[in-house]
Amino acid sequence: MSHSHKLVIKRSSMSRPPPPPPTTNKDQQHQNPSLQEINIKLIQSGEKERLKELLRERLLECGWIDEMKALCRKKGRNNVTVDDLVHVISPKGRASVPNSMKAELLQRIRAFLASTAD
Amino acid sequence: MSSKINGHVSPQPCPHLLVFRSRNGPKPFRALQDCIRVKPPGGRAAIRREPTEVPRCGTCEESSRSRLYACVACAAVFCHAPLLHSHASDHSLSIPGHEIAVDVDRAELFCCACGDQVYDRDFDAAVVLAQTVNATATTSTSGSTAMQCSVAGSQPENLRKRRRVDYRPWEPDSGEHISRGNQSIPLLDATNASLVSSTQQPWGFRGLNNLGNTCFMNSILQALLHTPPLRNYFLGDRHNRYYCQQKNGAINGTKNSRLCLACDMDALFSAVFSGDRTPYSPAKFLYSWWQHAANLASYEQQDAHEFFISMLEGIHEKVEKDKRKSQSPGSGDCCIAHRVFSGILRSDVMCMVCGFTSTTYDPCVDISLDLEPNQGGSGKSSSAKSLNSFNFEADCMRPNQNCGISTLKGCLERFTRAEKLGSDQKLFCQKCQVRQESLKQMSIRKLPLVSCFHVKRFEHSSIRKMSRKVDRYLQFPFSLDMAPYLSSSILRSRFGNRIFPFDGDEQDASNDLSTEFELFAVVTHSGRLDAGHYVTYLRLSNQWYKCDDAWITQVNESIVRAAQGYMMFYVQKVLYYKESENQGTS
Repeated sequence: MSHSHKLVIKRSSMSRPPPPPPTTNKDQQHQNPSLQEINIKLIQSGEKERLKELLRERLLECGWIDEMKALCRKKGRNNVTVDDLVHVISPKGRASVPNSMKAELLQRIRAFLASTAD
Repeated sequence: MSSKINGHVSPQPCPHLLVFRSRNGPKPFRALQDCIRVKPPGGRAAIRREPTEVPRCGTCEESSRSRLYACVACAAVFCHAPLLHSHASDHSLSIPGHEIAVDVDRAELFCCACGDQVYDRDFDAAVVLAQTVNATATTSTSGSTAMQCSVAGSQPENLRKRRRVDYRPWEPDSGEHISRGNQSIPLLDATNASLVSSTQQPWGFRGLNNLGNTCFMNSILQALLHTPPLRNYFLGDRHNRYYCQQKNGAINGTKNSRLCLACDMDALFSAVFSGDRTPYSPAKFLYSWWQHAANLASYEQQDAHEFFISMLEGIHEKVEKDKRKSQSPGSGDCCIAHRVFSGILRSDVMCMVCGFTSTTYDPCVDISLDLEPNQGGSGKSSSAKSLNSFNFEADCMRPNQNCGISTLKGCLERFTRAEKLGSDQKLFCQKCQVRQESLKQMSIRKLPLVSCFHVKRFEHSSIRKMSRKVDRYLQFPFSLDMAPYLSSSILRSRFGNRIFPFDGDEQDASNDLSTEFELFAVVTHSGRLDAGHYVTYLRLSNQWYKCDDAWITQVNESIVRAAQGYMMFYVQKVLYYKESENQGTS
């Protein structure tokens, strides 16, 4: 177990392609399940829990969790609430997740949806 | 926000929690405890009314929010994102008495009015109990439980509070250089050319003659002769046998002189490190030990581990005691044997009904490990299992896990695993006041300077009136980090951020010494139980030597790796120095 190796967290911009325009075609609605539907499918199959565990492991490996802990400690111990901490670290946290990690999770979700599609 | 009462850290409840408690009796979260669900693969606790419930915010119907809270008073679920919209806060403001909620995905209590976590001892105990029950119910032989995952993967970054200085080998400063040059005589000077030749063995190697089935003694003695802190103690004249015997009147020739095993050790060190390379006969030592362990005095083959234990006891008993210092072996102040080998084990026994835990500490000079029960399956069947199972993270986390090979780390993991005691072994619970089924977990409170691991290869069955030897190979590492087996790591992985239901003050135990160890001696046994032979392998400056009674030879490390380890000796890395390559230079 190495305690002293440094990891560089790549800061990526949040630029994403714009979301596709909302469809009115009812057939299309079947092909593109809503976020809600996907979420429920993931939860009910237990896949969401597995993905969360995978994500935790990856974030731990790349030092993201340690970074967040350091940010929290900077806030101090006194007169700090959970809501304060969430408010402080959320933007930085979201911005510093490596793209490779996002890609991996997206890949897994796609694979899962494909495997369970009717 | 927290205070220490009797060593327990208790967060102060917020005013809303106080009001809630006063209105809902002494156990306001009792009903909530029935909704605790522990989810594989991570073993995390969640709150669900039904196991398959998908929580949604009652106001906006969203289920994909990152924070969903269930109101403890009315069980309604709401989302909470203070900057965007918090339907949970809205709810708490609209109905007084509904401020306290629980995070449905983390099973953590929250006060919506204060915007902060709150804690309840009974609730936390129930969560931990549920997690523990879940983890112990899903143990398997080759895979790992949720708890094992977290032990294997946890980083002990919280264990150290002080900045640590990196290990660097000692170099003399300018003053020391000068005094070395002026006043010291090189131990090995140019005239003793044979001693500086590269084929010569390191200092302190001397074969031990077998006096009649005494390889059990020779093997242990060789290991002790090269146990760094023990070697330094005796070579540093910390126990002078002449002075000791004079004090006890032995020089006067009295027959029943006070026998002192430490004096015999001192004599042994002097003989072995004298520079004389001819094999030595430790007859005096054997005779002294026979007097101490009368029941083992015979020419029959003995168990090396038994000899080791009785030797340490012998040194402890006979060494002149300093009345001012603590006599408990755990502190290591009583004698050199305990100073070097004694650690402290922690045992936590938890009642499976109410969660009450009692803790005991015991000193130990070694750790005896069971070999795994037969795996049964070959490598093939185990890997097939991992493909189909949930626990793909287990395989991700341990890519080196060879299905079917027993390892020392595997034994240590099993040693520190929480174990359900059988229903015939119910222990008395102070809270319930009856015997209940219990869960026991061992961990290491304090590491010794030298860790000795004893592999239980000899099984004695008094029922079947037979003994047998377990020959199964055990893989052992040359470098070992004991951090995952410390009480602080074990407890942290089990309880996380919950209130410990007992003394959780484990922060300081590991801060003083490092947790990294280096292997320096392996005692091996070959042959049958009744007709076998002990051999010791010693490691000096990354070079391995085989000590087979009177014969010491240099061997390749692959021989050692393949050997059947019976006792493995590890020393704290900071005490394991590499000797310089060229011993002749000054």
